[in-house]
Amino acid sequence: MRAVIVEDLALLREGIVALLRENDIDVVAQAEDGPGLERIVAGHKPDLAIVDVRLPPTFTDEGLRAAIEARRRHPGLGVLVLSQYVEPVYTAELLASGEAGVGYLLKERVGDVRAFIEAVKRVADGGTALDREVVSELMRARQAGGDAGDALGSLTPREREVLELMAEGRSNAAVARAMVVSGGAVEKHVRNIFAKLDLPASDDDHRRVLAVLTYLRAGDG
Amino acid sequence: MLVVVSESVPLSRAPRRGRNMRFELHVCLALLAGLVVTIFWVATGGYFWPVWVWFGLAVGVSLHAVAVRAWAARRDRERSFRVKVEFCALVAGYQWIIWALSGFGYLWPLWPMLGMGTALAIRALFLYGDRLPWVDRKALVDRVDVLTRTRQGALDVQAAELRRIERDLHDGAQARLVALSMHLGRAEERLTGQPEVAALVRAAREDAGLAIAELRDLARGIAPPILADRGLKAAIEALARRSAIGVKIDADPDRRPLPVVETAAYFVVAEALTNVAKHAAGAAAHVRVTLDTDDTLVLEIADEGPGGADAAGSGLTGLRSRVEALDGTLVVSSPAGGGTTVRAQLPCGR
Repeated sequence: MRAVIVEDLALLREGIVALLRENDIDVVAQAEDGPGLERIVAGHKPDLAIVDVRLPPTFTDEGLRAAIEARRRHPGLGVLVLSQYVEPVYTAELLASGEAGVGYLLKERVGDVRAFIEAVKRVADGGTALDREVVSELMRARQAGGDAGDALGSLTPREREVLELMAEGRSNAAVARAMVVSGGAVEKHVRNIFAKLDLPASDDDHRRVLAVLTYLRAGDG
Repeated sequence: MLVVVSESVPLSRAPRRGRNMRFELHVCLALLAGLVVTIFWVATGGYFWPVWVWFGLAVGVSLHAVAVRAWAARRDRERSFRVKVEFCALVAGYQWIIWALSGFGYLWPLWPMLGMGTALAIRALFLYGDRLPWVDRKALVDRVDVLTRTRQGALDVQAAELRRIERDLHDGAQARLVALSMHLGRAEERLTGQPEVAALVRAAREDAGLAIAELRDLARGIAPPILADRGLKAAIEALARRSAIGVKIDADPDRRPLPVVETAAYFVVAEALTNVAKHAAGAAAHVRVTLDTDDTLVLEIADEGPGGADAAGSGLTGLRSRVEALDGTLVVSSPAGGGTTVRAQLPCGR
């Protein structure tokens, strides 16, 4: 897998590069600012771009804007945005900016190497990787949203847990691993969740994640 | 008396001919009337009653003169004060004349004179108080200037310092902790053969994670990133999205106020919405943000809850000091049963 990385802090950039290389991910180019992302993506055609939200010269949401632009210009490019903050507005914009292959993680998640690498691979393969903080923000907003919150309230704690893990973008197998249960048990939970929330069932992992996220994001605003 | 008053009025200098003509006509008519009654008295004889008619005519003419002067002086505080003095002197004069004409009895005109004198003295104190030798008004004005400037300076420095701290946290401590956690994670991966050491390293990594989360909360307390990135409206929308209550937002500032004002405005809305969620759960809130023509940011957060909020509560008091430090005002109106409205005005100009 070929990846590029855009991060202005050398300390973090080099650390992540080392981490990725140790896990057989080829980092083909690095950049330090928003325009740099477009340059290296256009030049190297990578499978995945890892982008920090806050980049020079404005040090605001430059990285996010660049990531959204890159997704628009290069369909099929996986974009994993790293941030030190959870900002549901940014998540929503990122998710709305294209179909598959998108992630939004807190930077500190790089410490959990296995989970991080799994998320990186998932995004590069066209899947979704959302930070659990992002998911719980979405759940909170959805719950506050009134009648739709009642449907969430009807889930058992176990089903809620499955829903959250699913919303992070994990496959059934990954959910089963994380919860230390059998794949069959997860499938049963998933069926119940989709029935209770009145969502269209689907075997495709990514479509399923999108259905869950669409449901959660309907609580926005 | 008639002659004296008409001479004291600078009629020829007044710009409005019409008004002067009316006054001159008034004088002529008064003279004519006085003459007529005097001739009538000469013809009939007896008690010299025309003196009361003259007095009445003189009162009319002199009041007319004062009215003309008061009109001319209406925009000038000092001139209009002089007209007031003239008016009081006239009224006192009438009273003395009445006293004299009615037979020099008890000296009652002293009392109204005393009253008018006191009123004029108080007015004079307001107008000319700063000329009193023991009041150094200029020094006070200078002092207020200095205090205003230094307070603004202190607020600017504070705002800049907070932004710097937030930047330093982001690029410094937070980034180092992320790097630390990453190194620990890589170490952990290589310790598959030593589960006990791996568990220690994992614990260290989790501690680093907690430290990062604490720093994140700290930085968010200084100012949420979305406020700096996208401005007040987006930040309020993010607040609304997070809020447990329904929030309607009308925000239309077409330009961004200074960061220090923007941050104060953000925290006013955040605190007000928290209060609504806490005390008026289930009630919808309405947030209005407008930029007045006189460069004042006006925030209004209204709910339809039970009202009766304690305006002296600690959260609101803290907000009030924050707003007042920027020369703004914060008013809480919360009649029992009538919902609560928090209204803040923040001047944006310098």
